[in-house]
Amino acid sequence: MLVDTKQVTELMSDHKNKEVNPFSPKLSREKVQENLMFGLFRGMTYFVLFCAAFLFWDILSKGANKIFEGDGLINWEFLTEHPQTLHVIGEGDEEIKLSSSNYYKLKDEKILAKWNLFAKSPGFTSNLSDLDNEMIELQKEWTEKSLQFTNAEFLKKERDKIYNKFAFWSDLLTDINASARDFEVEPQEIPGLVSEFILGHFEKERSRLPLVETKIILFRAQQYSNIEEPSLNTLKEIEKAYNAFLIEIPETYNQAIKDFGNEVSLTYEDFTLLRGPKEFGRFAEALVAYETIRRAFLDIETKNWNSIKELIIPFKQAMSVSLPSRDYAYSGGGIFPAIIGTLLLVLGAMTIAIILGVFCAIFLAEYGKPGKFLSLIRLAILNLAGVPSIIYGLFGFGLFVIFLDWNVSLLAGWFTLAFMVLPIVITASEESLRSIPQGFREGSLALGATKWIMIKTSVLPFAMPGILTSSILGVARAAGETAPIMFTAAYAKRSELPWEGLEHWTDFFFQGVMALPYHIYVVSAKIPQNEYTSDMQYGTAFVFLFLVIGVASLSMLLRNRLRKKYRW
Amino acid sequence: MHNVTDNSPNTSIDSTVLDNEPSIRIRDLDFLYGENQVLHNVDLDIFPKEIMAFIGPSGCGKSTLLRCLNRMNDLVDGARIGNGTIEIQGIDLHDKSVDVIELRKKVGMVFQKSNPFPKSIYQNVAYGLQIQGIKSKRVIDEKVEESLRKSALWDEVKDRLNENAYGLSGGQQQRLCIARTLAVEPEIILMDEPCSALDPVATGRVEELILGLKEEYTIVVVTHNMQQAGRISDRTAFFYLGKLIECDQTKKIFLNPNKQQTEDYISGKFG
Repeated sequence: MLVDTKQVTELMSDHKNKEVNPFSPKLSREKVQENLMFGLFRGMTYFVLFCAAFLFWDILSKGANKIFEGDGLINWEFLTEHPQTLHVIGEGDEEIKLSSSNYYKLKDEKILAKWNLFAKSPGFTSNLSDLDNEMIELQKEWTEKSLQFTNAEFLKKERDKIYNKFAFWSDLLTDINASARDFEVEPQEIPGLVSEFILGHFEKERSRLPLVETKIILFRAQQYSNIEEPSLNTLKEIEKAYNAFLIEIPETYNQAIKDFGNEVSLTYEDFTLLRGPKEFGRFAEALVAYETIRRAFLDIETKNWNSIKELIIPFKQAMSVSLPSRDYAYSGGGIFPAIIGTLLLVLGAMTIAIILGVFCAIFLAEYGKPGKFLSLIRLAILNLAGVPSIIYGLFGFGLFVIFLDWNVSLLAGWFTLAFMVLPIVITASEESLRSIPQGFREGSLALGATKWIMIKTSVLPFAMPGILTSSILGVARAAGETAPIMFTAAYAKRSELPWEGLEHWTDFFFQGVMALPYHIYVVSAKIPQNEYTSDMQYGTAFVFLFLVIGVASLSMLLRNRLRKKYRW
Repeated sequence: MHNVTDNSPNTSIDSTVLDNEPSIRIRDLDFLYGENQVLHNVDLDIFPKEIMAFIGPSGCGKSTLLRCLNRMNDLVDGARIGNGTIEIQGIDLHDKSVDVIELRKKVGMVFQKSNPFPKSIYQNVAYGLQIQGIKSKRVIDEKVEESLRKSALWDEVKDRLNENAYGLSGGQQQRLCIARTLAVEPEIILMDEPCSALDPVATGRVEELILGLKEEYTIVVVTHNMQQAGRISDRTAFFYLGKLIECDQTKKIFLNPNKQQTEDYISGKFG
């Protein structure tokens, strides 16, 4: 019973409490809604945070592969080298990755070692003197031949060949109507057709006889006006001139042989094989020239040639080292020129944008009288902010690159990027000018300042932190955009750094540069993908991220210092 | 003696103050913001080395009139004089020959909200001299000290001239603004509710300062605080709805005004 009483009392007091407490929780529609919305807001925010965190984690973790690759703490090569092809030598555990420059260095070393070995071998000296003798023989023989060459078979054969051509061309011109039927064209087009044939023939001759190239060009130039609209008469003139020209050709060859004789003896006398492969390279060049001339003589063969070829073989072998590698474009080396290029682009573009933007904002905020004109300007600026960046790229390409003829250059990129960030800078600068208390302006004017002095001394300095804040946004955008610079300033690959190889200091502004965002685009979309490109992409993105953070923190630091100086 | 009464019906003259030619002479002044007329037919004379107080409810046009006196209203879009003239020392302010820059050097202004520049105390006072192109450090130093002394601030700030002016208290800031105005050697000082944002002690010090400045300068003060007008001014002008209702010796305005509206306002029936 006692228990019952207790329970009853408790129940009663419970009941009583419920009645008395007006703040006891009630489940209502509003409450459910409240909880639901709160959950939704929180969930969305966490989702966005998660996405951002994933993005950063992805770039940082994958980029770190490239940045912290290798022996040292940081892969300095990646930050200080040019982009290069990656050469991978060997397989499995013995795999070595080398960028182009290192690969060729290694190859040179191997060649030198092999050559030195060969130069010390007992057969070397005898090989050399054999070659020496043969060369002297060859030179002698060719010099004799050149004396007989003036009226050799060559001339006759050439004339026969060209005679057929000239006969064909004359036929075409003699009966224009018949030719027109054959070729299914209008009769008046026949001379033009013949002209094309003649020019085509000379073009072929040019590639067949490389040594007399200049002569042929000269000949064409002399006859050019006649070749354009050939008649039977002009054709005859051309034939005559060409015959005369053919007689000159052997002379040309003879001269070339004499020159070559001199050249070879010179090279050969100087030639001490122990100096290494580079010297031999000159010797090899001479041999190539020798062979070219032999081909120019067509089927005129010399008895020494084959024996010389055999004698050269050991020398060639001593110079050839095979270092088989799998090559991956853009996957070796580093991104130094792209870092420099991006820094230059951002600094230049921001300088231009801030100067233009601040002047414009001062006009809008301080001088402009509110009205239709000002609203029109504001509307235009707002619209500019919404224009896609590729449109800025096209605009810059049309105006700066083509019309002003700046070509793909830093200057064109600067202005294109500056125009792109200009709306941001103008809007924010105007905002920050307007936020300066009116009291500063009045105080200054009341002391007898002119409007410009007022702006210069008591508005602009105080607005500067705000203007710099806007420029931070601009920096991030200018650094990050690919589209505006891909037509105007960016090169996919450039070996020189911007300050290298300038003939005049103004050339600095008229050169294209590499840039990080464009480099990411190139290694992601323009080259065949392989196992190494991903590292390159994320490594570049990693550096890019930190570069933007770095530049932005610099301006933030500057802004904070200014803020401290002028606080009110 | 110049007879002013004929021209300015609202002014009765006390010969001790008003022996001179008026420093500022306002005649038939109509003033408009766009189409909105804020001053109607104002006639007023302000004499050298007197303190004139403008009182009246908010929106009665007293601040507008004050800002007309050094053409600060030029900054406001659509602000214009409809009719009438303002002359200072006999010269029409809106005459083409008047350079507004020179005018503002002669007619200084102190604003309602103290507005020192966010620079050092020294630079604040030197500002007016520097923009005039004075480079000599010695001249500027002397002038800064003199101005700070005149505005009774020197002893408080002489050890921290290079500190930011915003480190000063509200009253000190306002006195700094007065010092800044004094540095350019004006003849007339306009004060637009100079104490409205200050506590009573600071107000007292500023008032003391204003009274001291009367020796050298003509001072026009706009105030909402009628006790303040009573304490510091020689004469008081009462404005209502853009019209000058009454202008007289301060004592007379407060004790025995001519117009019923003035009495109602003074006694707190409206405003």
